[in-house]
Amino acid sequence: MGDVVNIFVKSVFIDNMIFAYFLGMCSYLAVSKSVKISAGLGLAVLFMLAITVPISYLLNRYVLSSGALAWVSESLRGIDLSFLSFIFFIAIIASIVQIVEMVVERFAPTLHSSLGIFLPLIAVNCAILGGSLFMQERGYQTLGEAAAFGLGSGVGWLLAIVGIAAIREKLAYSNVPAPLQGLGITFIVTGLMGIAFMCFMGIKL
Amino acid sequence: MEKEPFFSAKNLKLLTEPLGRSNPVTVLVLGVCSALAVTVKLEPAVAMAVAVTAVIAVSSFIMSLLRSTIPNRIRIIVQLVIVSLMVILVDQVLRAFAYDVSKQLSVFVGLIITNCIVMGRIEAFALGNKPWPSLIDGIGNGLGYGMILVAVSCCRELLGSGTLWGYRVIPSSFYIANGGVYENNGLVILPPMALILLGIIIWVQRSRSKNPAKR
Amino acid sequence: MNKDSNQYIYLYSIALVVAVAAVLSVVATLLKPFQQKNVEVEKKQSILLSVHKAAGVKKAKSKAQHIEDEYAKYITGSYIVSSLGATQEGDAFAVNLEEEAAKPAASRKLPVFICSDDDSTLKYVIPVRGTGLWGPIWGYVALHDDFSTIYGVVFDHQGETPGLGAEISTPEFQRQFAGKQIFDATPMFTSVKVVKGGNTRGRPHEVDAISGGTITSQGLEKMLLDNLSAYLPFFKEQQRMQGAKQRQREREKKEKEEEEERALLQAKQDEAARIARWAAAASAAQALQKDTTGAAPAEKEESKPVEQAENL
Repeated sequence: MGDVVNIFVKSVFIDNMIFAYFLGMCSYLAVSKSVKISAGLGLAVLFMLAITVPISYLLNRYVLSSGALAWVSESLRGIDLSFLSFIFFIAIIASIVQIVEMVVERFAPTLHSSLGIFLPLIAVNCAILGGSLFMQERGYQTLGEAAAFGLGSGVGWLLAIVGIAAIREKLAYSNVPAPLQGLGITFIVTGLMGIAFMCFMGIKL
Repeated sequence: MEKEPFFSAKNLKLLTEPLGRSNPVTVLVLGVCSALAVTVKLEPAVAMAVAVTAVIAVSSFIMSLLRSTIPNRIRIIVQLVIVSLMVILVDQVLRAFAYDVSKQLSVFVGLIITNCIVMGRIEAFALGNKPWPSLIDGIGNGLGYGMILVAVSCCRELLGSGTLWGYRVIPSSFYIANGGVYENNGLVILPPMALILLGIIIWVQRSRSKNPAKR
Repeated sequence: MNKDSNQYIYLYSIALVVAVAAVLSVVATLLKPFQQKNVEVEKKQSILLSVHKAAGVKKAKSKAQHIEDEYAKYITGSYIVSSLGATQEGDAFAVNLEEEAAKPAASRKLPVFICSDDDSTLKYVIPVRGTGLWGPIWGYVALHDDFSTIYGVVFDHQGETPGLGAEISTPEFQRQFAGKQIFDATPMFTSVKVVKGGNTRGRPHEVDAISGGTITSQGLEKMLLDNLSAYLPFFKEQQRMQGAKQRQREREKKEKEEEEERALLQAKQDEAARIARWAAAASAAQALQKDTTGAAPAEKEESKPVEQAENL
């Protein structure tokens, strides 16, 4: 149990998708400057990560990795489908995005109109695919660990995005030199925040 | 319609523009994600740049070839499938023939699939243009991306390890441990510095460019 | 056919999927042997590094060939050890530590690699695997044939922080382990502790931890303890056998020495007896001669045998 909590906390603060790996910044940078919209985007990413990482884990464990098909029949033990991982993961992500969009459109039209634009963007968001790929690489042993990782990464991403947006809002009132405005200063600020987050590194739970 | 010669001026422009005015990373804000994490040393950065260029170029080429046959409803899906195919091929080749580099790149090769440059160029260019120009456009953008990667990684490797491509540049005798006064800068090896360096590069590029860049 | 009709979409999708799957399967199957070989060469290189043998790799023209040659030259044997210390048949190289860790302790296969060094001694290489701060850490520990003194180590990690936890894979950190002991004098198993200030003289069971890399250092210590203790029955058995062999050798040596001493003594006695007989014969002849010739020449001859008998 302690392991799961450990993984969760690590992925929120130390292994933060944005500050440590810069995943998911493209779509964010192009889209928003306000805290409200970023929060919406962050929640959408959190939701996607929390769902897709466990599903990818199951897929990896029972279909893709070397010897995984043994539960179907012993003779299939020698098959290694890991080279199909990328396609399977992205297929899952795209399908879930599609399903979620249809469900939201049908059952919560107001929600759809405010969040709906984000969903197609999220399908190609590096952070979501990154979550599945990291899960596969790090070899989490149980579904619980994978889920904790997905959830933690999502929360971390949300925190980071909202934080950056808040600072950007305030930056509108500062005297940033013209060539640095917008993109440049955002990168530098994000970098500085990343350094700050690194203070969580020695945490032992 | 007249057939354009392969290396016409128009096509050459496709190659050179992304190296400066419409650099995908610094101007169009694409492909930032996976760019920075692999720039700790020069060698993986170059490998990544080559991989991305190959993926963009060939995917653009194939999508352009198929552009008149794709049903509209599954356009994005077809794009994803073709790009994934290319990325998997690149990954398998790396693992077979450049194992050390592929270990350093780890998951970031897979992340090329979601690299905004790839999808961005396919949507913006390949689906509306002929195959050969699409290929060149892909190569050009890949090179523009590679340029930024090389710049950032040179700084980081030089300042952070005193080497370039694994070859020692700052002589060992300079180091404190060996009696000198110099010490590697540990901060640049850590991820946040890549972002800061990129911000600085954007600053420099935009100050020098004549057109005021979009925010 | 209408591009947007359902029929077209289905056909297109199926065609696309089949084409992509075919291309991928062909490429993956073709490239698999190369990829497999890369993984194997890396493993061999790690094993060689732990016994300080893979240094010439950078200058070699074909890295893979160089590693294969060095491996074939130095790693002359390997076997699998059961958790009770008995050696079994099996391919040690193919043992996957991750899989073994998931099995219950009693049924685990523990690989051991034997290195025949240039100075004709044997070194034993044990693979180890554990957890650092961010992910798995692993490595190889090479022991001298007393199964207690460490000859060399090599460690690697997946995602430790550069400059901190990642230092475990640097030569500077690994060098400390050479000469450290995992058994103390009693002999009790102590493993090697990774603590602050560990690498000072007079501490054969400790090495320096990494400042700023506490958790990784602790993970390393635990890895060594867990993995090496699994081999304890094997080590003890080997040490016992070696102790027995050593005693046997000493006994034999002693016997041989005694034998030689006796033989030497015997030879001396024989020689003394021989000379005494010769002296007796000589004096008898002399006595005979005295009667016939003169005394002077016989005296000289007489003194010689007496001298010789005295010198023995």
